[in-house]
Amino acid sequence: MESPLHHFEVHNIIPIHIAGLDLSINNAVVAMWVGLAVIAGSFMLVVNRGVSPIPGKLQSILEISLEFIRSMVYEFIGEDEGKKYVPFIASLFLFILACNLIGLIPGSYTITSQLAVTGAFAVGIFLLTLVIGFGKHGMHFLGILVPPGVPKIMIPLMVPIEVISMLARPISLAVRLFANMTAGHTVLAVLFGLAMTGPLWLGWLPFGFTIVINGLEIAIAFIQAYIFTTLTCVYIGDVIKLH
Amino acid sequence: MPQFEQVSVFGSLIFWSLLSFGLLFFILKKFAFPPILEALEMREKKIRNDIEDSERLKNEALEIKTQLEETLKAAHGKAETIVQLAHDESRKAQEKSLQETEAKVRQIQKDAEQEVLNSRNKLLQEIRSYAAALTIASTEKFLKKVLGEDDKKKLVEESIEQVVQELEKRQRN
Repeated sequence: MESPLHHFEVHNIIPIHIAGLDLSINNAVVAMWVGLAVIAGSFMLVVNRGVSPIPGKLQSILEISLEFIRSMVYEFIGEDEGKKYVPFIASLFLFILACNLIGLIPGSYTITSQLAVTGAFAVGIFLLTLVIGFGKHGMHFLGILVPPGVPKIMIPLMVPIEVISMLARPISLAVRLFANMTAGHTVLAVLFGLAMTGPLWLGWLPFGFTIVINGLEIAIAFIQAYIFTTLTCVYIGDVIKLH
Repeated sequence: MPQFEQVSVFGSLIFWSLLSFGLLFFILKKFAFPPILEALEMREKKIRNDIEDSERLKNEALEIKTQLEETLKAAHGKAETIVQLAHDESRKAQEKSLQETEAKVRQIQKDAEQEVLNSRNKLLQEIRSYAAALTIASTEKFLKKVLGEDDKKKLVEESIEQVVQELEKRQRN
C-alpha cells in the first residue's frame, strides 16, 4: 500500500531558478491556479454579463458569498472601518476556499496543506495588523499589550504574556489550517488505499467511508476558510479598536 | 511528512501563493467586487425604500380605511334617519288618509242615515195621508154617514197613531 502522505509531495513541472531561488512551477501551484481561475472566472463572467438587479444563479451565489463576508467584516471590525477591508477579506476567504476545495479532486493538490504557505499568509496577516495598528494609533498601539483595568504592578508580567499571546496568533492561524487540511486528506488517502488494496467484498466499506469523509471534507474546506478569515477580521478589529 | 521534508519548494510555494493571492485580490478588487457590491447596496437601498414605501402606503391605507369607515358609519346613520323620517312621514300620511277616509265614511253614513230618516218621514207622511183617506172612507161606509170635521180629525188622528205605533213596533222587531 502506498504511503497516505505520498500525495503531499510536490513535483516540479516547470523549473525556474532566479538568483539562486527555486521558483519552479509545481503541481501544488498549478492546482492552486486552477482553483483561483475558477473563482476569478466566475466573478468576471458575472461582471462581463452585466450585474443584473434581478440576479441569476451564479450571480446569486457570488452575491451571497460577498454578503456573508461583508456582514462578517462589519461584525468584527465595524461598518465604517470595515468597508475598506471587505475586498481583502473576501479575496482571502475565496483564495483559501478555492485552494481547500480544489484539493478534494483526486490527483489534485491542496496548497493549504503546506505549512509554509499557511505560515506565510498568517505572518503576512500578523504584519498587516501591526501596520494597521501603528498606522492608526501610532505608539499608543503598544497599549494593546496592557489589557484595560490591569493594576500597574501587574504590567511587567502582563506585557510578556500579551506579547506571547500576540505571537501565538499567526502560529495558531497557520497550524490550524495546515493541520485540518493535512489530516482530512490523510484520512481520505488511508481509506481510499484500504478500498483499493482490500478484497472486493470488503473494499466497498472503506470506499463508502471515503465518500462520507469527502462530504465532510467539503464542509471542513468551508469551515476552515471561514475560521481563517474570521480570525483575520478579529485581529484587524482588535488593532483598530484597541481592546 | 513531505511538507517538512521538501524544504527546497518552500520558496516557490510561498512566492507563487502570495503572488497569486495578490493578483486575485487585484482582479477582484479592481473589476469584480465594485459592481457586485454596488448592486448589493442598490438592492438593499431599494428593498429598504420599498419597505418604507409599503409601510407608508399601509399607514395611508389604514387612514383612508378609517376615514371610509367613519364616512360609511355617518352615511349609515344618515340613511337610517332618512328611512326613519320616511317611515314617520308615511305613517302620518297613512293616519291622515285613514282619518279622512273614516270622516268620509262617517259623513256618508250620516248622509245615508239622514236620507233614510227623510225617506221614512216621507213614507210615514204618505202612509199617514193614505191611512187617513182609507180610514175616513171606511168609517163613512161603516157608519153610512158623513163625519163632521171634528170627528174626521179625531178619527184620523187615532188611526194614524195606531198605524204609526204598529209600524214602529214592527220596525223595532
